[in-house]
Amino acid sequence: MATDEKDNHWKEDFPIEQLEATQVTRRDFAKFLCLVSGGLATGSGYVAVKANFFPPEKVQGEHLVCKKSELPKGGTRSFVITGSTIPYILIRLETDEFRAYEQKCTHLSCAVFYMPKSGKIECPCHDGWFDALTGEVLAGPPPRPLPRLEVVIKGEDIYVKEFETNAANPFNTSST
Amino acid sequence: MSNFREAQNQAHPNKTSTLMLALIVILIMNVSLQIWLLYTALNNALAENTDIAFPAFIASFVLFLIGAGWLYFLPNQVRRKNINF
Repeated sequence: MATDEKDNHWKEDFPIEQLEATQVTRRDFAKFLCLVSGGLATGSGYVAVKANFFPPEKVQGEHLVCKKSELPKGGTRSFVITGSTIPYILIRLETDEFRAYEQKCTHLSCAVFYMPKSGKIECPCHDGWFDALTGEVLAGPPPRPLPRLEVVIKGEDIYVKEFETNAANPFNTSST
Repeated sequence: MSNFREAQNQAHPNKTSTLMLALIVILIMNVSLQIWLLYTALNNALAENTDIAFPAFIASFVLFLIGAGWLYFLPNQVRRKNINF
Protein backbone atom coordinates (compact mmCIF):
# COMPACT_ATOMS: atom_id res chain seq x y z
CA MET A 1 0.00 0.00 0.00
CA ALA A 2 1.09 3.52 -0.68
CA THR A 3 0.61 4.69 2.91
CA ASP A 4 3.10 2.14 4.21
CA GLU A 5 5.88 3.75 2.22
CA LYS A 6 5.38 7.13 3.91
CA ASP A 7 7.47 8.23 6.81
CA ASN A 8 5.25 7.64 9.86
CA HIS A 9 7.70 8.80 12.55
CA TRP A 10 5.40 11.69 13.50
CA LYS A 11 3.14 9.15 15.13
CA GLU A 12 5.90 8.38 17.59
CA ASP A 13 6.20 12.04 18.47
CA PHE A 14 2.43 12.42 18.96
CA PRO A 15 1.29 9.04 20.22
CA ILE A 16 -2.30 10.14 20.80
CA GLU A 17 -5.08 8.51 18.89
CA GLN A 18 -7.77 10.71 17.41
CA LEU A 19 -10.43 9.22 19.70
CA GLU A 20 -8.41 10.12 22.80
CA ALA A 21 -7.80 13.65 21.56
CA THR A 22 -11.46 14.49 21.05
CA GLN A 23 -12.93 12.64 24.01
CA VAL A 24 -13.18 14.19 27.48
CA THR A 25 -12.37 11.45 29.94
CA ARG A 26 -14.22 11.11 33.22
CA ARG A 27 -10.93 11.83 34.99
CA ASP A 28 -10.62 15.14 33.16
CA PHE A 29 -14.26 15.95 33.88
CA ALA A 30 -13.78 15.29 37.62
CA LYS A 31 -10.68 17.53 37.65
CA PHE A 32 -12.57 20.25 35.79
CA LEU A 33 -15.38 20.09 38.37
CA CYS A 34 -12.75 20.61 41.06
CA LEU A 35 -11.43 23.64 39.16
CA VAL A 36 -14.95 25.10 38.99
CA SER A 37 -15.28 24.44 42.72
CA GLY A 38 -12.08 26.43 43.34
CA GLY A 39 -13.39 29.26 41.19
CA LEU A 40 -16.64 29.42 43.14
CA ALA A 41 -14.75 29.43 46.46
CA THR A 42 -12.60 32.30 45.16
CA GLY A 43 -15.75 34.18 44.10
CA SER A 44 -17.26 33.73 47.56
CA GLY A 45 -14.02 35.03 49.08
CA TYR A 46 -14.18 38.11 46.84
CA VAL A 47 -17.78 38.79 47.89
CA ALA A 48 -16.86 38.39 51.58
CA VAL A 49 -13.87 40.76 51.35
CA LYS A 50 -15.76 43.33 49.27
CA ALA A 51 -18.78 43.30 51.60
CA ASN A 52 -16.81 43.52 54.84
CA PHE A 53 -13.84 45.73 53.99
CA PHE A 54 -14.94 47.82 50.99
CA PRO A 55 -18.57 48.82 51.59
CA PRO A 56 -20.26 51.00 48.95
CA GLU A 57 -19.72 54.71 49.44
CA LYS A 58 -22.61 56.69 50.88
CA VAL A 59 -23.89 59.93 49.41
CA GLN A 60 -22.23 62.78 51.30
CA GLY A 61 -24.20 65.95 52.06
CA GLU A 62 -27.19 67.36 50.22
CA HIS A 63 -27.37 67.82 46.46
CA LEU A 64 -29.62 70.16 44.52
CA VAL A 65 -31.65 68.38 41.83
CA CYS A 66 -34.05 71.01 40.45
CA LYS A 67 -36.75 73.48 41.36
CA LYS A 68 -40.20 72.33 42.44
CA SER A 69 -41.86 74.20 39.57
CA GLU A 70 -39.77 72.27 37.01
CA LEU A 71 -41.42 68.99 37.93
CA PRO A 72 -45.20 68.61 37.33
CA LYS A 73 -47.26 66.11 39.31
CA GLY A 74 -46.71 62.62 37.96
CA GLY A 75 -43.48 63.80 36.38
CA THR A 76 -39.99 62.40 36.74
CA ARG A 77 -36.49 63.74 36.37
CA SER A 78 -33.26 61.77 35.93
CA PHE A 79 -30.14 63.06 37.62
CA VAL A 80 -26.68 62.06 38.73
CA ILE A 81 -24.84 63.27 41.79
CA THR A 82 -21.57 65.09 41.17
CA GLY A 83 -18.62 62.73 41.41
CA SER A 84 -20.72 59.64 40.86
CA THR A 85 -21.99 57.82 37.77
CA ILE A 86 -25.01 56.16 39.39
CA PRO A 87 -28.22 57.30 37.66
CA TYR A 88 -31.06 58.37 39.95
CA ILE A 89 -34.68 59.24 39.26
CA LEU A 90 -36.70 61.87 41.10
CA ILE A 91 -40.46 61.30 41.05
CA ARG A 92 -43.21 63.72 41.97
CA LEU A 93 -46.15 61.46 42.77
CA GLU A 94 -49.74 62.43 42.05
CA THR A 95 -50.19 62.82 45.84
CA ASP A 96 -47.57 65.62 45.67
CA GLU A 97 -44.95 63.53 47.49
CA PHE A 98 -41.37 63.39 46.24
CA ARG A 99 -39.29 60.23 46.01
CA ALA A 100 -35.78 59.58 44.68
CA TYR A 101 -34.48 56.12 43.77
CA GLU A 102 -31.54 54.61 41.97
CA GLN A 103 -32.62 54.17 38.35
CA LYS A 104 -31.15 50.67 38.17
CA CYS A 105 -33.34 47.61 38.61
CA THR A 106 -32.01 45.36 41.37
CA HIS A 107 -32.42 42.37 39.06
CA LEU A 108 -30.06 43.08 36.15
CA SER A 109 -29.53 46.87 36.35
CA CYS A 110 -31.95 47.87 33.58
CA ALA A 111 -33.24 51.45 33.75
CA VAL A 112 -36.56 51.70 35.61
CA PHE A 113 -39.38 54.16 34.82
CA TYR A 114 -42.27 55.62 36.78
CA MET A 115 -45.62 54.66 35.32
CA PRO A 116 -47.75 57.86 35.70
CA LYS A 117 -50.98 57.62 37.71
CA SER A 118 -50.22 54.05 38.81
CA GLY A 119 -47.98 54.66 41.81
CA LYS A 120 -45.64 52.00 40.45
CA ILE A 121 -42.15 51.94 38.98
CA GLU A 122 -41.67 49.57 36.07
CA CYS A 123 -38.63 47.70 34.85
CA PRO A 124 -39.50 46.93 31.22
CA CYS A 125 -36.72 44.37 30.71
CA HIS A 126 -38.26 41.52 32.69
CA ASP A 127 -41.58 43.02 33.83
CA GLY A 128 -40.44 43.93 37.34
CA TRP A 129 -42.58 46.32 39.42
CA PHE A 130 -41.71 48.45 42.43
CA ASP A 131 -43.88 50.54 44.76
CA ALA A 132 -43.16 54.19 43.94
CA LEU A 133 -43.89 55.20 47.55
CA THR A 134 -41.46 52.84 49.28
CA GLY A 135 -39.31 51.24 46.57
CA GLU A 136 -40.43 47.75 47.66
CA VAL A 137 -40.75 45.01 45.04
CA LEU A 138 -44.36 44.39 44.02
CA ALA A 139 -43.91 41.82 41.27
CA GLY A 140 -41.38 40.24 38.95
CA PRO A 141 -37.84 38.99 39.33
CA PRO A 142 -36.09 41.83 41.28
CA PRO A 143 -34.72 40.39 44.55
CA ARG A 144 -34.34 43.64 46.53
CA PRO A 145 -36.09 47.02 46.89
CA LEU A 146 -34.74 49.95 44.89
CA PRO A 147 -31.99 51.87 46.76
CA ARG A 148 -33.52 55.15 47.89
CA LEU A 149 -32.38 58.71 48.52
CA GLU A 150 -34.09 61.04 50.95
CA VAL A 151 -35.73 64.11 49.37
CA VAL A 152 -35.47 67.40 51.23
CA ILE A 153 -37.57 70.39 50.14
CA LYS A 154 -36.11 73.80 50.97
CA GLY A 155 -38.49 76.46 49.73
CA GLU A 156 -38.65 75.93 45.97
CA ASP A 157 -35.52 73.80 45.73
CA ILE A 158 -35.43 70.01 45.84
CA TYR A 159 -32.37 68.42 47.44
CA VAL A 160 -31.47 64.77 47.94
CA LYS A 161 -29.32 63.16 50.62
CA GLU A 162 -28.44 59.68 51.93
CA PHE A 163 -31.54 57.83 53.08
CA GLU A 164 -31.23 56.66 56.66
CA THR A 165 -33.73 54.08 57.77
CA ASN A 166 -35.43 55.05 60.98
CA ALA A 167 -36.01 52.00 63.20
CA ALA A 168 -39.26 53.40 64.59
CA ASN A 169 -40.46 54.55 61.19
CA PRO A 170 -38.61 52.62 58.48
CA PHE A 171 -40.39 54.41 55.64
CA ASN A 172 -39.54 57.90 56.70
CA THR A 173 -42.08 60.23 55.16
CA SER A 174 -40.95 63.42 56.85
CA SER A 175 -39.21 64.52 53.67
CA THR A 176 -42.41 65.19 51.75
CA MET B 1 6.11 -7.62 39.70
CA SER B 2 2.68 -8.11 41.20
CA ASN B 3 -0.18 -8.31 38.78
CA PHE B 4 -2.77 -8.02 41.57
CA ARG B 5 -4.29 -4.74 40.34
CA GLU B 6 -4.47 -5.93 36.75
CA ALA B 7 -6.11 -9.17 37.84
CA GLN B 8 -8.59 -7.24 40.00
CA ASN B 9 -9.49 -4.95 37.12
CA GLN B 10 -10.09 -7.92 34.89
CA ALA B 11 -12.19 -9.71 37.50
CA HIS B 12 -14.36 -6.64 38.30
CA PRO B 13 -14.49 -4.50 35.17
CA ASN B 14 -17.38 -2.34 36.48
CA LYS B 15 -15.69 -1.30 39.70
CA THR B 16 -13.84 1.64 38.18
CA SER B 17 -17.02 2.88 36.56
CA THR B 18 -18.95 2.79 39.84
CA LEU B 19 -16.20 4.63 41.71
CA MET B 20 -15.93 7.25 39.00
CA LEU B 21 -19.69 7.81 38.97
CA ALA B 22 -19.78 8.24 42.76
CA LEU B 23 -16.88 10.72 42.63
CA ILE B 24 -18.45 12.81 39.89
CA VAL B 25 -21.90 12.84 41.52
CA ILE B 26 -20.44 14.08 44.81
CA LEU B 27 -18.33 16.73 43.01
CA ILE B 28 -21.45 17.97 41.19
CA MET B 29 -23.32 18.14 44.50
CA ASN B 30 -20.45 20.15 46.03
CA VAL B 31 -20.44 22.58 43.12
CA SER B 32 -24.24 22.99 43.34
CA LEU B 33 -23.96 23.84 47.03
CA GLN B 34 -21.20 26.34 46.27
CA ILE B 35 -23.32 28.05 43.58
CA TRP B 36 -26.14 28.39 46.11
CA LEU B 37 -23.76 29.77 48.75
CA LEU B 38 -22.31 32.33 46.33
CA TYR B 39 -25.79 33.41 45.14
CA THR B 40 -27.03 33.81 48.71
CA ALA B 41 -23.94 35.65 49.93
CA LEU B 42 -24.02 38.03 46.95
CA ASN B 43 -27.73 38.80 47.29
CA ASN B 44 -27.40 39.44 51.02
CA ALA B 45 -24.28 41.54 50.60
CA LEU B 46 -26.05 43.73 48.02
CA ALA B 47 -28.97 44.13 50.46
CA GLU B 48 -26.42 45.43 53.02
CA ASN B 49 -26.70 42.26 55.07
CA THR B 50 -23.01 41.40 55.12
CA ASP B 51 -22.95 38.97 58.06
CA ILE B 52 -23.58 35.98 55.83
CA ALA B 53 -20.72 36.61 53.37
CA PHE B 54 -17.82 35.34 55.49
CA PRO B 55 -19.46 32.11 56.77
CA ALA B 56 -20.55 31.40 53.18
CA PHE B 57 -16.95 31.81 51.99
CA ILE B 58 -15.65 29.44 54.70
CA ALA B 59 -18.28 26.83 53.79
CA SER B 60 -17.46 27.21 50.09
CA PHE B 61 -13.73 26.85 50.75
CA VAL B 62 -14.26 23.72 52.87
CA LEU B 63 -16.35 22.23 50.04
CA PHE B 64 -13.52 23.00 47.61
CA LEU B 65 -10.98 21.28 49.91
CA ILE B 66 -13.27 18.25 50.14
CA GLY B 67 -13.53 18.18 46.33
CA ALA B 68 -9.77 18.53 45.89
CA GLY B 69 -9.07 15.79 48.45
CA TRP B 70 -11.68 13.65 46.75
CA LEU B 71 -9.57 13.60 43.57
CA TYR B 72 -7.04 11.45 45.44
CA PHE B 73 -9.49 8.58 45.10
CA LEU B 74 -9.76 8.88 41.31
CA PRO B 75 -9.19 5.39 39.90
CA ASN B 76 -5.96 5.10 37.94
CA GLN B 77 -6.15 5.24 34.22
CA VAL B 78 -6.11 1.75 32.73
CA ARG B 79 -3.01 1.76 30.57
CA ARG B 80 -3.03 -0.24 27.42
CA LYS B 81 0.12 -2.21 26.82
CA ASN B 82 1.86 -2.73 23.52
CA ILE B 83 0.55 0.30 21.66
CA ASN B 84 0.93 -0.38 17.98
CA PHE B 85 0.52 2.34 15.44
